[in-house]
Order: sequence, then structure tokens, then C-alpha cells
Amino acid sequence: MYTSLTNRRSFIKKMAVLSAMTAAASMFPGIVFASEQENGIPDGDLEWKKGPCRFCGVGCGILVGVENGKAIAVKGDPNSSVNKGLLCVKGYHQIMCTQASDRLTHALVKKNGTYVKTPINEALDIVANKMKSTIEQHGKDAVAMYTSGQSTIPEGYVASKLMKGAIGTNNLDCNARLCMASAVAGFLTTFGADEPMGCYDDIDHADYFITWGNNMAEMHPVLFSRMLEQKNRRGAKIIDFATRTTRSSMASDKSILFEPQTDLAVANAICYEIVNNGWVNTKFVEDHINFSKGLTDIGYGLEDKFKFSDKPTKISFEDYKEFLKDYTPEKVAKYSRVSVKDIKYLAAIYGDPNKKVVSYWCMGMNQHTRGTWMNNLMYNIHLLTGKISMPGNGPFSLTGQPSACGTAREVGTFTHKLPKGVVMNKKHRELAAKIWKVPVENIPSKPTYHTTEMFRAVDRGDIKFIWTQVTNPLVSLPKTSRYRPGMEKDSCFVVVSDVFPTPTSDVADVILPASWHIEKSGLYGNSERRTQHWDKMVEGPGETTPDAWMTIEVAKRMGYGDLFPYSKENHVEEIYNEYKEFHAGAKHEMAPLEVLKEESGVIWPYVDGKSTQWRFNAKYDPACDNGKDFHFYGKPDGKAVIWQRPFEPAPETPDEEYPFWLNTGRVIEHWHTGSMTRRIPVLHKAMPNAYIEFHPDDANALGIRNGERIKITSRRGSCIMPASINERGLPTRGQVFAPFFDENLMINDVTIDAFCPISKEPDFKKCAVKVEKV
Amino acid sequence: MPIKSYLAHPKKGKRAELVNALSNLQECEVIPAENNDLLIVVTETSNKAQEDKLKETLETIDSLKMLSMVSGFNTSKND
Amino acid sequence: MKRLGIISLFVILFIAFIAVWNYSYQTGLEEAYISLEPNNESLVIPSETGVFQRSQYALDYANIPIDRNHQRTLDNYYKNRAFPGAPPSIPHDVIDELSMGDNSCLKCHSNGGFVEKFNAYTPVTPHPELVNCRQCHVPEQTNSVFKQNSFEKKRVLGAGNNNAMPGSPPVIPHQLQLRENCLACHAGPSAPREIRVSHPERVNCRQCHVPSEVKIEDIKSFTRNIKE
Repeated sequence: MYTSLTNRRSFIKKMAVLSAMTAAASMFPGIVFASEQENGIPDGDLEWKKGPCRFCGVGCGILVGVENGKAIAVKGDPNSSVNKGLLCVKGYHQIMCTQASDRLTHALVKKNGTYVKTPINEALDIVANKMKSTIEQHGKDAVAMYTSGQSTIPEGYVASKLMKGAIGTNNLDCNARLCMASAVAGFLTTFGADEPMGCYDDIDHADYFITWGNNMAEMHPVLFSRMLEQKNRRGAKIIDFATRTTRSSMASDKSILFEPQTDLAVANAICYEIVNNGWVNTKFVEDHINFSKGLTDIGYGLEDKFKFSDKPTKISFEDYKEFLKDYTPEKVAKYSRVSVKDIKYLAAIYGDPNKKVVSYWCMGMNQHTRGTWMNNLMYNIHLLTGKISMPGNGPFSLTGQPSACGTAREVGTFTHKLPKGVVMNKKHRELAAKIWKVPVENIPSKPTYHTTEMFRAVDRGDIKFIWTQVTNPLVSLPKTSRYRPGMEKDSCFVVVSDVFPTPTSDVADVILPASWHIEKSGLYGNSERRTQHWDKMVEGPGETTPDAWMTIEVAKRMGYGDLFPYSKENHVEEIYNEYKEFHAGAKHEMAPLEVLKEESGVIWPYVDGKSTQWRFNAKYDPACDNGKDFHFYGKPDGKAVIWQRPFEPAPETPDEEYPFWLNTGRVIEHWHTGSMTRRIPVLHKAMPNAYIEFHPDDANALGIRNGERIKITSRRGSCIMPASINERGLPTRGQVFAPFFDENLMINDVTIDAFCPISKEPDFKKCAVKVEKV
Repeated sequence: MPIKSYLAHPKKGKRAELVNALSNLQECEVIPAENNDLLIVVTETSNKAQEDKLKETLETIDSLKMLSMVSGFNTSKND
Repeated sequence: MKRLGIISLFVILFIAFIAVWNYSYQTGLEEAYISLEPNNESLVIPSETGVFQRSQYALDYANIPIDRNHQRTLDNYYKNRAFPGAPPSIPHDVIDELSMGDNSCLKCHSNGGFVEKFNAYTPVTPHPELVNCRQCHVPEQTNSVFKQNSFEKKRVLGAGNNNAMPGSPPVIPHQLQLRENCLACHAGPSAPREIRVSHPERVNCRQCHVPSEVKIEDIKSFTRNIKE
């Protein structure tokens, strides 16, 4: 495959081995010949080092081939149960980006309008002094840190400890707000405990995979390949429920399209059908479910300083049934553009007690002005039918970043979070204060800025100092047309830690050179609660430094040395061991470091030397202690909540002036803002620039041909991109789609900064635009 | 030059012994399964006679419970 | 009386005829005025569908033993192509000059199989939906040329040299147009041995193998907007 097969003997030998493997696999399904897969790679003096992939939230295990201190190859880790030796094109080529010619190797400090190469120690002095003086002049809440779902666990932990424990401000949020916040809010409102109950092994058991607005073939390709394998081997079915036809639709057994935002109504219609046809798992609902409703008509957060808090009220099953009557398939079909037949088809799959169903979703449902509701509704379907927390049955919220779960959610680098619990809760603050060894009064009890509001505060001049790490907000925020000029203002001192120059580092006052992934040790946590550790594999160039260590150095310079007594060589281990104390107990026990070093990732809760693959199910989860078969112990009474959540329209819908829906997303070749993947030649050649995708009929009507330059304009801004017709994807009529990876063609200048009032996650998938040829 | 692949089942608890015994044979390449008591054995010999001889040797290995052939190929000598 | 009966019978028949004719005329008119509702959304992405087209055979491909004596080679693959990417000419007699692909060429070329007469496996077409085969594929009736021609056949695309790093998945060195279906040429007994995939069961090929040359009009190279 990778070398020419000129040597016929070795080729034949390989074939002989392969056929023996196939034979063995049919006798013992799941048999692993790890050493053989490793043997298949060309040798030399390669040393293979284990770690997780740098990119998406799937969390594939990788092995990096290091020769003479240089990373020269990557392959899938056959011992990792996530990917079983397979990767995607990004994963295979990831290490190539480190050799990019414009790598940030030294600190750069802006002096009189130009960047001056500065020794890292001096640069850190400048950062610490500026942070200190800003606090003295303008108060604690004038400084902020914006981190990432790609920060390692130790990086997130020291950021939280510095901001919340040492300085005493909740001005810490992260880019996972743009990606996972609705999933978190959904989990907390329904179950009282964050993160999926199931795991990837569900794929091996399910009869149906229903993907909700999720193009897994491109975004979670390794998991999709596992699904395809089950489809081919066992006849499992994949159903793609989406607003746009994609590569995933092509591989699915059935593709159902819906009008943007009406997923809320369709989910309710499915529940209506389940109730109406007597498919409710009555015993399960009686034993384990409460019903609640919250406020409605909750707004969209378009105005600065928007505030909202939900008021839950308990209701009865009868009240809920009454509510569902507004969502008969016939009524919903009218505005969702999903046929009655298709709604009933979906409901029948969920309702059939003999079919195992896993639902997958990611940004389609999370980046949604009613994202929390949509997550709740998804759980409603699985809770009504009792299809949850069992092998092959369950709702599964996928993540987009390698440590969105491990760092953003578990360490809690959100304004309202602590490593365990939330700042609003006195007990949680006390625990944090005890482990951090700070006075409990240090930790403020009120959350401050979530991401969108944080950058609004920068624009308003309320935040005078911001430090971003491992993220590129000026490409990834919605409505960058406002936030870019906001960050360029002199009122805010901007520090950017990154590996490569980005549009965000372009506005920085100090640029700190960060170590890349394999140039430091760290831990990530993936979508299935799997914690993965890796050791530093190669030296980084120049003065590049791990982000955690830069934070610690700044903390020391600010006089918090006692709180950060970690050593440079061993800080990752020391920090992890301290952090682990937060999660002690059967509900969230993290695996010891020795185990993580040995294994290709371990799922928490890790109790008595065993991963807990299915939480809340007494058969698998030792934390269940109510004597019943299920125990939703996140809630005080051990019951999960079915939420009554109505359909409400999007903040902006196409009209005469702006007649198209704009949807944004990713492509398989590029990851997020492309700062890494675009520097990998293989990926750049395959996908050199962003594009605006049309339905062929719309393109025809407008006289637009492939490749023509199109100006996309919304009420907020505009951008020009080449048209793409009949290429990667097919939007519905009246919809256009653009990927957001391209910093030269910024679609986020056009998007809207409306967000879910509960989770505060913006909606990148829906706004109204007009298009014209230029 | 015959190339053959086999699945070899070791006698109970004698997996390591079998791997050892087979690896000692020059014509054999052994790939043990990670999670099952099963090995893949690939043999490469230069002619039929040698192949038969190897077969006899294999049959004398004590720790081997069963050997089943999966595939066989024959290539010309010069490639 | 008898005459009256006959007349009234004809009158009734005539009225019935008028009524029926009128009705059918009216319905005919109605149909003519049915507005041209667009068809249901067509759910096909031409450049994307192909990759999964033969995936139902992927497991078979993985299990088919290799018939060493009848393997095709890359040389053979390019022999009847004027340049990489050109439609191959037909290297054998055709059954009928008049028939369309679906009842002649596709009998063998849609799924392949061993043909005694040619002592070879039939190559599988990556685009069986295009049945007018002879639009692009023509037989060779003569070995002579009308006038000498100096067109040089471009070097054929190699195999085994398309990966960026040791062990990384090779990129796709050829155009994808009309060749979206990977398994047609890269798996099965008719696949040239140099490009036969070792893992046909991984049907989502483009998860790891990406095109190396995308032509979206005038590719701008990646530049950053540096603001001073």
C-alpha cells in the first residue's frame, strides 16, 4: 500500500498472513494481531511512541515514529480500542505541521508597531507585570483568560487554579463554549451529571445508528468507519437526519432532510408517536423519570449583557402528553419539510423494543439557539423508550476537540465551573479551596463572562487584558466582523500563546511560542470519557514552551509561587495527581497515572482497576446504589428528567432581502481554523480554500457556475468565496454552506452571535444571507 | 518456492512454549494473537521436499494441539 | 317503434360519447395546467456517491484469494490508454456494433469475472450508470495510422510513491472525475496488482486518501493577512 509491491515474495507472504488473519477473525471475532500490524510498517531506527491524536474529539490512539529525535511517521495504535489501528488523513499526516517554515519559535513582543524577538523569560515578565498592573488599576475582573478544548488537562487545571484560586476572578472561559456547552447543559439538566453514559463499543452492538445533523463520514471518520464495518458485516443500518446532503448521506441506508431549526419539532413528534402508539417503556419511566418544564420564549442573547436563567417546574406525565399533542407528525410535517411517513419511520425505530438504537450528534444540535433544549429532547426519546445506558442503546453526544471532555468539561475551564462542580455551589468552592490551598473567599461565587460576552466585554473596553491559549478566536468566533476590531483596540492588552501565527496572533501585544502536542507531555480526555496520557516525544524548536509551564511561570512572577510548586520536568504528573483528588469516588474516579502510561487510554469512572463503560446501569456501574437496575445518581432523587421543550423559531430566518439560510461547518481535510492542517501540504493540496456551496437549482436560477466568485452578505458582514456546485456537499434549496477553516475567506464575518440562553453556545448553523456574483 | 500460512492452536497453557518452538525453526514466521490462544504461522521453503520435511518437524512439536492450513502459494524461484 | 328504438339507442350512445370525450378533454386540459413542481430533492452528490458504490462487495474482495497467474499489471492497465486519465480503447472484438452498454458491455464489465477466451479477469467499470459506452470507448480496428503523429504518451502515474511519510496513506494521484468508485479498479481480481488495496473492507476510502490535485478555479496559495 505504501511501498511499491515489487518484492513479490514479501507481498505473497503478506497475503498469506492476511488470509490467515481473516480466517482467524471469522473464528474469533475481535481477535487482535497487534504485533503484525506494527511489523507491517517500514523499519529503520524508528521508535514508536504512543499518544492520542491531536485533532478531533474521537480520540484515536496514535503511534509516532521517531528517528534521531525527529518525528517522521504516524500510524494508528492497534492497541487502542477507539480506532483499532485506523486513522483518518489528518491523523496520519499531523506531525508534518510542526516543520512549517513560519513556526513560532521565539516570543515576540510588539514595540512601536513591530514585533521584536524577545527571550521567553523577558516576555513572561512583561505578561505577568501587565496582568498584575491591570488588576491593581482596574480590578480582578479586568483580566481574562480564554483557553481551549485542545488544552491538555494540566494546562486547563493550572489556568483554572490561577484565575479562580489565586487571582480570584471567574474570567476564564474556553472555545469549548462554541462547541460543547449545549451538550453539557443538556446532560446537567437531564441527568445532573456531564458526559455520555455509553461508549464507542455501542457501535458493535447497535442495530440502528441515527445521526442528527452530523456528517460523521467527514467529522468523525474513524467512528463512521466502525459503523460502516458493522453495516457491512452485520447489516446494521445508518440513518442520516440532516439539513444538508453530505458524504455521510451517501453511505447511509436512508437520508432524511429537515428545515433548519425544526429538529426541535421533529424530536417532539417522535415522542408523540412513541406515546401515542404505546411504545413507552412504562416500567422504566415509572421507576426512573421525573417530568419538568422550563421557561419558554427565552430570547437569543443578541444584545450585550443578556441575562437568562431557567425556572424549572415539575409537571406530570399527563401534562407532558397534553403538550405533545401540538406535535403530531401531520402538524410537524407542514413546517419541518419531513414527510409524515419519515417521522413515523424514525419513531418506529426508536419505539421498537427489539431494535437497539444509538443516536449520534455533534455541532448540528449543539450550535443551536435552542441547543440545550435539543439535547434534552434527544434524551426524552431515549428515556421514554428506556433505550439508554445499555450496550448498543443510547444517546451519544460527540465532541469536536481532543480534550473538550477531558479539559474543558472535567477540569472545568468555563466561567461557572470548578474542577468539580460549579462556582455557585458553596461546597464545591470549599473543596476547590481545600485542594488548591487557598482561602475559600478567593473563589468568587458568581460566573462572569461566557465566550461571546467575554469578547463583547473586550470590545466594550471592560476587559483590559486577555490571554488566549491553544485557540484562534478571531477565526472561530461568530460575527468576527465585530470582535476583530474589538481586539485590535488599544484598550485591551492581548497575549496569544500559539504554535503558528494566526489572525488572533496578528492582534497580539505579546506572542508566546507554544510547544506542539508531541513536544510536551500531557493528557487528553475524549468523547467516551477516555483519559489518554502521552510522554514528550521530541524536542520543540527554539524557545517553545508547554502552555502549562508558561502559565505556571506567570503565576510565579505574580507572587503565587507557593500555589504552583511544580517542577519543570515533572509538572504534568504532579498536576494530574493533584487534580485527581477532585474526582475521587466511584462516580468519577480517574485512573492512576501508572495505568494511563501503560494503557492506550482508560475510561472513567475507573473503579477497582476497571473502566465503567456504561454509567447509570447497575450491571456495569459500581456507583449505582439504589438497588434497582438503573440509577441516575446525578440527580438527588436518582431520577432523570424528561423536559417539556417546545419548538421556537431561529432568531433570523430567510426573508426577501436575505433569502438564503447560511450553514457553516468543516471538511475532512481541515480541522477547525486550519492553523495546523493548512500547514500540512497533503491536506492543503486536497482542499486549498473555502467555498460556498449551492444547490444546483439555486445556482441555475442565479446563473452561478462552479468556481465563480460569490459575495455572501448578512446583516453583520460579508465575504467573497468561490462557488461550489455538486462537489463535496449538497445543501437543500434555499440554503448555502461554507466551511470556516479558511482565514483568508472568513465566513464568520457573516455569521450571527446569537446563542442558546441556557448554554450560551452560539449558533453557527443558521442565519440569513444574500448572495451575488462579483 | 511454497509459501503457506497456518493457524496453530497451542495446547492449554503452552502458548509461550509453542511460540518459542516455532520461532526456532528457520522457515517459520510466527504472529501470535494478542487476546486469544492462537498463532499465525507462515512457512517459506525453497522446494517441495523441504516443505514435506518441515511438515514432519512441525508435527513433532509437543505443545502444538492443532495446525490448520489457511492458504498456500507457490512462486517461481527468481523473484 | 323499432326505428325509434334504434334512433334513441344511437342518441344515447352519442350522448355517452360526448360525455366521455368531454370528460377526457377536460382532464386533458387540467393536466396541461399542472404547474411544474420541481421534483423531490435529488439526493446525489456526483463526486461523493461513487466511493461507496461497490462497498457491498468489500468483504468479498477482502476474502477473494489472489489468482497469481492472471494478475493484471499497471503496465497492462495503461497499455490501451492514450495518456493517464484517457478512456481506454476496447482491446477485443465487440459483439454488436449497434447495442448499448447495458445489454452488451456491462454484461461483463459491471461486475467482472474470469474470461477463458482472453485468459484474464474483466476490468470493472467505475461508472456503470453511463451506458453509452461507445461514446468514449472505441475498438481498435487497425494498427496503421493515417499520418504519423508525434504525441507523446505522458509518463504513467506510479504506484507506491504517493505517500508523504513512511507508512502514511498515499494520496490519490489521478483525477476523480468518472473514477469516483475506488473499489472498481483498486479491488478484486482484475485490479492491477500494484494498486490493489490491501484493505478493501475499509470502504470509506477518502477518510485517509485525499486527492492531491483539486482544481477549484485558480487556486490561491495560502497567505496570511499580516497587519502591522
